[in-house]
Amino acid sequence: MSASEDQRDVEQVLAGDVSQFEGIVRRWQGPLINLAYRFCRDRGRAEEMAQEAFLRAFRALAQWRKDAAFSTWLFALATNLYRSELKRIPARLSPLEEVGEIRDTRAIDGGLEDQDRDRSVRKAVYALPEKYREVLILFYFHEQDVPATARSLGLPEGTVKARLFRGREILRSKLQPVLAVPQLKEA
Amino acid sequence: MSTTEDPIDRIFSREEEILPSSGFTASVMDAVRREAAVPPPIPFPWKRAWPVLALAVAVVIAVPIVAVVELVKVASAPASNAPAAMSNVWPQLPGWASNPMIGWTAGSLLFAYIAVKFSMRLASR
Repeated sequence: MSASEDQRDVEQVLAGDVSQFEGIVRRWQGPLINLAYRFCRDRGRAEEMAQEAFLRAFRALAQWRKDAAFSTWLFALATNLYRSELKRIPARLSPLEEVGEIRDTRAIDGGLEDQDRDRSVRKAVYALPEKYREVLILFYFHEQDVPATARSLGLPEGTVKARLFRGREILRSKLQPVLAVPQLKEA
Repeated sequence: MSTTEDPIDRIFSREEEILPSSGFTASVMDAVRREAAVPPPIPFPWKRAWPVLALAVAVVIAVPIVAVVELVKVASAPASNAPAAMSNVWPQLPGWASNPMIGWTAGSLLFAYIAVKFSMRLASR
């Protein structure tokens, strides 16, 4: 349904009816803003980046070849933009070592609550080297779908799997005590 | 049940979703309409430029070749004829030009003038 709506709207926009782009914006604003938010963790900046992504999509609409879904093309375009935006102005993130230090201190004080643990893990993801961070962000954004992650990043699936594995390994090694606490509780 | 699930997967599957602000769509559409209102960039007039570019490339290639050929002629000429051969390297200039460099300077200025006029003509279209 959405795919055919996208195609219809794209054709109408390309035929000169700019107002039909609104349908595309309404359908994809949520995913594009949320994807940007996962990259930068700043709501205002996420909306600015998503707006720029829509503008670029509008300019490049004629380049969408219908052999791939519109959403695939749009996510790849947005991902490229978000990656280069964050290279230009990086998100304010904690270095990985700092994440480890916070974790240790609090664990000694009596363990972490779920929310604190989640926050620590997320912080650790944002402190990962870029190539692992991007893959992890997109992997979870695409609900753990490796092919979709690979398409968004324009990388082979094997590369995505390898980076995913390595990124999770780094996270586990850095956050071992944090991740171990709830498992002991649940056991 | 959750003990078998990777804790990292579990944490990230609970990722908070943010909603677009109320004016987001309008703001994007304003930007899109502004973008659409801007006239498309004027394409470079390749059709007109190609002959001149081809001529320029031909000149750039031909000049060193001619120069080398003339220098070889000078080098191969007998020593006594060298000054005469050397004079053949330069084109014959009109009688009023006592200095051969005047002709070259005039030619260069004329070429530069034509190039500038042609570029301006291309840009104005």
